[in-house]
Amino acid sequence: MPLLTRLKNRLIARIVTRHPALSGMVVDAFEPLVLQDIPWTSLTKPLDECAVALVTTAGVHRRDQQPFDMHDPDGDPTFREIDAGTPRRDLMITHDYYDHTDADRDINVVFPLDRIGELVSEGVVGGVTRFHYAFMGHITGRHVLTLTHVSAPRVASRLKELGADIVLLTPG
Amino acid sequence: MGLIQREIERTGIPTIGISIVREYTEKVKPPRSVFLKWPFGHPLGEPGNVAQQRAVLKKAFEVLYAAEKPGVIVDLPWRWRREQYHE
Repeated sequence: MPLLTRLKNRLIARIVTRHPALSGMVVDAFEPLVLQDIPWTSLTKPLDECAVALVTTAGVHRRDQQPFDMHDPDGDPTFREIDAGTPRRDLMITHDYYDHTDADRDINVVFPLDRIGELVSEGVVGGVTRFHYAFMGHITGRHVLTLTHVSAPRVASRLKELGADIVLLTPG
Repeated sequence: MGLIQREIERTGIPTIGISIVREYTEKVKPPRSVFLKWPFGHPLGEPGNVAQQRAVLKKAFEVLYAAEKPGVIVDLPWRWRREQYHE
């Protein structure tokens, strides 16, 4: 995707972030799959015994990981595995479709690593899984199926292996 | 985000999502959500506002345990930058 398109996407992201009333335009442009059933799993343990995993679509990744692909207009359906103990300075965001200026200043705005850590120290939450997971939102076209049939199930089974009792999801 | 949430829930792990675009969440139908009418890129609130971020997290967990039917979306009443958060 040419540089000009990337600049345009970033400009739209800034405008929509400052004027949330315009977000409807973005949503209307996106027609998801027709979904009928809603999956459901019951809670079996109290929060202070649960291992929590974070999954974000805010485009977070470690600086030494491959950034999300901003050149494909359908987005990047891959994910990044992030060690729960990763120093905050080693994390960054690659995502042109929302204004992440504030999240760059404080990653907890989209990926609440420190806040969850505090709740664990206080005994409110049982613990966290060894890894958390990050995607990039704005997946459209042919990549929607890659997301729902490949990447998301892979992360889901990984979370199961890691012993996640609860998953909290945050957007960008 | 909701599509990923659905796959995780389907694997057998209960999930809660923070939504900032209600229309999208209504279409995608994840199992449980809290909705905040806040700008994109700010699901937990403002940078450095620890009390606000904690409030969102605690509320999300509360809804996770209280939700009784699939597809629930709980609207949180907090206005953007016009609330005081206390522990």
